[in-house]
Amino acid sequence: MANNSDRTLEDWQAMSRKYWNAWSDATRKAFGSVLPEAPATAAPWHEGLEQWSRMFAANGSQNEMVERLMAGAKSYFAMLQSLAAKSAGQGAAMDAQAWTNTLRESFNFPGADAGLIDNPLARAMREIAGQGAKGFEQMMENLAPFTKQAHALLGMPAFGYLREHQEQYQKFAQAMLDYQEQSNRYNALIARASRRGFELFEDKLAERGEPGRQIESVRALYDLWVDAAEEAYAEIALSPEFREVYGAVVNAQMRVRKHVQQEVERIATDLGMPTRSEIDSIGKRLHELRRESRSRGDIAELVAEVAALREEVERMKTAGTKSAYGASAAHPRKTAAKSVAKSSKPRKG
Amino acid sequence: MEPIRIDPARALDEAVRAQSKLAAGVRTLQQVEDVDYGVTDKEAIYREDKLVVYRFKGKNKPTAKAPILICYALVNRPYMVDLQDDRSLVKNLLALGEDVYLIDWGYPDGADRWLTLDDYINGYIRRCVDAVAKHAGVKKINLLGICQGGAFSLCFASIHPQKLQNLITMVTPVDFHTPDNMLSHWTRGMDVDLFVDTLGNVPADLMNWCYLTLKPVRLNQQKYLGMLDILDDKVEMENFLRMEKWIFDSPDQAGEAFRQFIKDFYQGNKLVKGGLKIGEKDVSLKNITVPVLNIFAEQDHLVPPAASRPLGDHVGTTDYTQLAFKGGHIGIYVSGRAQREVPPAIHDWLAKRTK
Repeated sequence: MANNSDRTLEDWQAMSRKYWNAWSDATRKAFGSVLPEAPATAAPWHEGLEQWSRMFAANGSQNEMVERLMAGAKSYFAMLQSLAAKSAGQGAAMDAQAWTNTLRESFNFPGADAGLIDNPLARAMREIAGQGAKGFEQMMENLAPFTKQAHALLGMPAFGYLREHQEQYQKFAQAMLDYQEQSNRYNALIARASRRGFELFEDKLAERGEPGRQIESVRALYDLWVDAAEEAYAEIALSPEFREVYGAVVNAQMRVRKHVQQEVERIATDLGMPTRSEIDSIGKRLHELRRESRSRGDIAELVAEVAALREEVERMKTAGTKSAYGASAAHPRKTAAKSVAKSSKPRKG
Repeated sequence: MEPIRIDPARALDEAVRAQSKLAAGVRTLQQVEDVDYGVTDKEAIYREDKLVVYRFKGKNKPTAKAPILICYALVNRPYMVDLQDDRSLVKNLLALGEDVYLIDWGYPDGADRWLTLDDYINGYIRRCVDAVAKHAGVKKINLLGICQGGAFSLCFASIHPQKLQNLITMVTPVDFHTPDNMLSHWTRGMDVDLFVDTLGNVPADLMNWCYLTLKPVRLNQQKYLGMLDILDDKVEMENFLRMEKWIFDSPDQAGEAFRQFIKDFYQGNKLVKGGLKIGEKDVSLKNITVPVLNIFAEQDHLVPPAASRPLGDHVGTTDYTQLAFKGGHIGIYVSGRAQREVPPAIHDWLAKRTK
């Protein structure tokens, strides 16, 4: 047994050496230099990817895109390493559950956020770039010290001439606590979806035991996991519970934002600066004036259209009268009809 | 039999292949030029506030009797219909002899925060339709509404039927309460008054975040891992980057219009349940008596086909046609299949109905 185990370790070390040599070769070809610090053979494989992206950043091109590529490829490389190591040690004698456990472990790669253990869906959500979402998270981080005092604030009675201010702070504190509570509920559902994803993955994997359906590449395995993860997420995301929690977390976030805005407005007023409410109020009045002015324009258009129609009717009447008393009196209707058709004929088409 | 047959050497080989793609990607990414879009020549024929109506110029003069006005959604930029030379609904329609116009809504800012659906539908769209009719010298035009623009077009066709010859809707939500509609499901617990009163205009980044969370792993990881496969192909990378640019080139949403759209369409489902009012005007799909062509995508994750299909049950016209396209919400404009199938279907349908 000891010999087998030694051989497995040797095989794995040889494989890792090959992997890092290939990285060195690839970076030499790409950047004209090798990796700045050649990692030890025991280093996680996605570390090569990190170093690659750092060299790219130094090159100064397409950073945003490289970041996104990194986000996608990191899990895949971690999976590559994990599965290669496992298969080097175990051979092919692993069932669906064992492979699922290996996959689960691969998501918890070294350096990954400990708060996201066994929760790849939460990681995918965190990787979504977008200031609309990030800005609020940053704001909440800045407000963290205040949140810690929030409980204490809530219990204090408000009195005196600053009573209203104190009540505002208490409402603000309550809003932040509520947001944290709703966020926790939301995160719990995402974690549940991740767990469900692994269950579905195991089921899907078990179906691949049939001849001709076996998975032969890590990429195919990764794609199968994505199918399972998305299926599980959709299951949770379309549930009545998710609907309620989603609404609650969005509403709670808006209440926090609103309190922050009120505070900013109070400070702006103290400093004699215009506030957003004032600008909104001006914007609204301006918009109403424009609508009034437009509707007057619309009325003017209608008046012009009625005038044109009257003219047309007059022309028809005149044509009808002439036809009745003129030379073509035998075909008055036809002439009138022709005249209408002519006057309403479009310019083209 | 074991479900997985990956030997270590093969896994290593896969990793090395990925490395060589990454290495090749360094060269490719330095070569790709800043991607552009909107390939067909066009002229502005009408402007109002931030919107512009363009008329596209084909190689030959249009032979169609009435023009098509494309009314795109507010939530993305309209150049998806003319993305690149070999992926352009507009170009293909022009080649078939159609006369194509398009409303470009522009990017709303704080000054547009109070724009309502009444302003958009009975205001902007009505005046755009009039401008196109005047420019083309016709009394009635064909309106082609896309996604949210399709829902707007349905309202417009109900209120102003005398201005249209035909109506075409593409990937348009009609029944917002089908069980597979994730966006609708999520919005129903939202206090949209609090949302709009707090945010004013709704930031594009927030909208994008919401769309990306519809399929978080597929859209944030798998798609970019797929980029590995094309990293050594300059043309494919440019196509990919062009699409990325479109996806994230999103305007903010005018607050009041957003409020009403969520309340009446997503939450109230009034387009099919009834009771919808745009400004002072009642909207009833039964008032739509012009011929209708409804095209939807069978793999659409944003507007599920089940949300589009019911249109035929609610419109008043006796001339209703529907076309199910094998593809997704974006594929219906940019896939190879779309280029072959969609423009001829629109052209043939219109040719039989345009006087």
